Amino acid sequence: MVNVTVDPLTRIEGHQCISTEVDANGVITDAQSSSLIFRGFERILQNQDPRDAAFLTQRICGVCPLAHGLAATNALDDLYGVADQVPKDALVMRNIFQGLNMVASHATHIYILFGPDLANPAYKKVLTTLGDTGNAVWNEMVGRFAPISYKMDGQSVPVGSSYLAAIPEKKRLQEAIALIAGRMPGPSSLYPGGYTYPATVADITKISTYYLQVMDFVSKHTLKVDFDTWIENTYKASSPQKAVSFVAEHLKGLIDKSVTSNDFSKDAGWGDVEFYAAFGSELVGENILGLPASLKHDTIGGYKDPSKICFVSYGGYYKPKDGYDPRSPAGDRIFTSGVVSGKLEYLKFDPDKVTESTAHSFYQNSDNDLAPVKGETVPFTDPDKIVFAGGSDSQYSWDKAPRYDGIPGEVGPLARMLNIKEPLVTGLALAFAENGYSAANVYTRMLARMQETAILAYELLNWVTVDYDPSGKISVPIDLNAAKNNQGMGLWEAPRGALGHWISAGSNGKVTNYQCIVPGTWLMSPRDSNGIPGPLEQSLIGSKINTIGDVDYTNPVSIYHMGRSYDPCISCAVHTIDLTGKRAPNTLRIL
Amino acid sequence: MSTGIKNLVRTLDSVDFLKMDRRTFMKAVGGLGATVMLSTYKADIVKGLEFAETRIIWLHGSECTGCSESVLNAGNPDIVQALQKLNVNLAFHETLCAQQGIWNDGKLVNNAELNSEILLEELYKEGKYILVVEGSIPNGPNGSGRYLVIGNKTFKETIGEAAKNAVAIVAVGACAAYGGITSADSEVAKDTDYRGVAFAKEDANGGILQELGIDKPVINIPGCPAHPDWVLLTVGAVILGKIKVPDDLPAVLDKYGRPMVFFPPDHTVHENCPRRGYYDRGEFDEQVGGEKCLWKLGCKAPYAHADCGIRKWNSGVSMCTQAGGPCIACVEPGFPDASRPLYVEREDVGLAGANIDLVAKVAVGAAAVAAGVHAVRRMKGE
Repeated sequence: MVNVTVDPLTRIEGHQCISTEVDANGVITDAQSSSLIFRGFERILQNQDPRDAAFLTQRICGVCPLAHGLAATNALDDLYGVADQVPKDALVMRNIFQGLNMVASHATHIYILFGPDLANPAYKKVLTTLGDTGNAVWNEMVGRFAPISYKMDGQSVPVGSSYLAAIPEKKRLQEAIALIAGRMPGPSSLYPGGYTYPATVADITKISTYYLQVMDFVSKHTLKVDFDTWIENTYKASSPQKAVSFVAEHLKGLIDKSVTSNDFSKDAGWGDVEFYAAFGSELVGENILGLPASLKHDTIGGYKDPSKICFVSYGGYYKPKDGYDPRSPAGDRIFTSGVVSGKLEYLKFDPDKVTESTAHSFYQNSDNDLAPVKGETVPFTDPDKIVFAGGSDSQYSWDKAPRYDGIPGEVGPLARMLNIKEPLVTGLALAFAENGYSAANVYTRMLARMQETAILAYELLNWVTVDYDPSGKISVPIDLNAAKNNQGMGLWEAPRGALGHWISAGSNGKVTNYQCIVPGTWLMSPRDSNGIPGPLEQSLIGSKINTIGDVDYTNPVSIYHMGRSYDPCISCAVHTIDLTGKRAPNTLRIL
Repeated sequence: MSTGIKNLVRTLDSVDFLKMDRRTFMKAVGGLGATVMLSTYKADIVKGLEFAETRIIWLHGSECTGCSESVLNAGNPDIVQALQKLNVNLAFHETLCAQQGIWNDGKLVNNAELNSEILLEELYKEGKYILVVEGSIPNGPNGSGRYLVIGNKTFKETIGEAAKNAVAIVAVGACAAYGGITSADSEVAKDTDYRGVAFAKEDANGGILQELGIDKPVINIPGCPAHPDWVLLTVGAVILGKIKVPDDLPAVLDKYGRPMVFFPPDHTVHENCPRRGYYDRGEFDEQVGGEKCLWKLGCKAPYAHADCGIRKWNSGVSMCTQAGGPCIACVEPGFPDASRPLYVEREDVGLAGANIDLVAKVAVGAAAVAAGVHAVRRMKGE
């Protein structure tokens, strides 16, 4: 048994450590996920003007500040009692703003954070022994996904074509956000009751131009099949089976063309999505398509016990009409709220079923599974008690452990796609489950993110060109007195998953309590008071540290993949915003 | 490039970057962005390519990665072009690098090509790098620094190690510069004890380096986030020798360690705000979504010393006030406490309950005084 620890897990947002015990076959037998930072944001809103929340909570995360800004604004709409009156065009502006950010965030994850691991020398070692095909596949992997400042065997490796091309597009998307939000990150355009800036016809034209430029990148690098054809046959497919068949047929066609030439280039029709869809999975690549080898990413990052996991979505993107329901009941949002069980049963989401445990976290009250609103958390102040290597029974993380009905929840693109019953992702999940794999794994998680990016690109165009009316109303006034002795709940979807903000104000209209539960906390959580490991920990346990080739304790590529496949954001996870004045200091909230 | 711009570039070629007259820079160059500035120094860049490669170690402390995000948004050149043009080797950046920390039974394994901790050890040993810090540094609890531990080391310790052999240190963003949002007043602030690299809020003796007993000059590029031009142009100027560290620093930095060319002591965001015309006519928005001056919605632009109004953001497409959000003065050392409440006019906050005239007297600069008084007059209809 070897202790294999990845600390820090880089190429994520924030600072995280993954500690594992690995047996002689390279299988992980135990794992702890530790968040390494206590930011101490708490109470910064205490006794303050509630409206500051939409600004200041954006500073929890610079990668998805807009999601925090929107969750806060939803909570404020609710607090000031105007959620049912927010004008349609303000909601559409918020959708555009969030949609652009989610696409940019996903692109960043796929190309800058996750992609570089596909150029890991471990794959070179295996693939280059597999003849011309293996060599060709390796050349594509390193040629597309190598990061900046990359060296292998002492030689500098040129930056990958997809990586390099993605950076300007990410920048372009951020520019499009800045057009309607002032700047990005850290924009200032959110306000309860509406939005601060009515985009002009000129802005809409510019956003459309940016959009076309981004789609040009997509058609050159990401997805070589015609975009509309893809959407029509996957997102709009009449059944999950049809969506999967369409993709399988498309990939089969590509393989037939490339089988003799060993040409897996973009010019030969292999966009990054096609490439990963075929070569990333054992089931799809080897068993269904008959490829000689694959990366076997469907064999890692799965859940071994479906009764100990669920997939949670709070619901995101407003329907284009005046007003919305801040509690996000099923059907109120374009991406609906919901819960899918580990056995893929569909359940209704009930915010009251969320609890958090601090049994294995660095806080002094560790015996309760409390509803977030009632949570009390006091951080360790004794430096000697902050120990990350104490094992599964110890307290080992700054993260708390959120649970839904007592069960750990995966949040993010995969959870959202399952909850909206997106045909392709649902079809893949079912196929994996039926063939003895975990429905969720590194491969389905990545494909769900890619597919959600495509869906958002599709929906965005509607918001920009159809739903938004530049002459429409952009805000309704708020009455600051309405906040007095009132509460607000803001449920939303960040790129990384379900995000909730809760606010209470006192008799003077100032904040008495502010709490957030964020995606990173769900995903990276340590064990709870029942000893159930968090989603990432469950993913790790039972997975092999190398999917192909020899076991290499010194380069545990699967751990990188599994950790990064969730797109974790640790600053969010341990933002520790809470802001309570009532029962200081026992009401510190650590999330 | 138009003839006018070419001439301007030629003129600027003979002027030392960041030492030129502020107004010349602000009026003439600010709006042109990074491309022209870099092409201005083409000859030096060629020299750079012929001679040394410059290494940058970019460390992340308690941060949100927003400043890295911002730098990735750099307009023209973008970050990759800038690195290439300046022959910069971004030797370590936690969000971008290939490496991660890899440990077997508590020992570092593999090599610098895959292991970030081995890479950093080698880089520190070799020295001669520019150290960029993003995010603040917890000194707590109890001076231990253990509220942030990366790779089995407190970040406080890491900063000390990295700072020692750095040829220049640049603190990027409000958090690294002054503590930023992590230093906001709260009941746990004394436990976390977050510090900037060289400052704790306005206190030039409160930085983590002082705590560690390390005496090294630091250039602060504040902002929440920092503007990519501010970062790339400053780092570029250091690399090209346009700012010699430490000799030139007293002449180019203000008392908060900020390059005056981007953060001019006598100039605020208010002066070049796109809504300035409404202000001058005394027309103010009182509800969001309008087009008038945002003073009554709490705008702090008259107190923010930065060139946002000329430079704008994200390749110059907009800025906070243009999109209808009040300026939050995120470039000031007291951010965010000094800017709160964000949506309330500064004189209503009152410094010790004072009226605008008193506020004006203690406000940060002459421009702010004029702006504040002016605004009150307009509102009173004088």
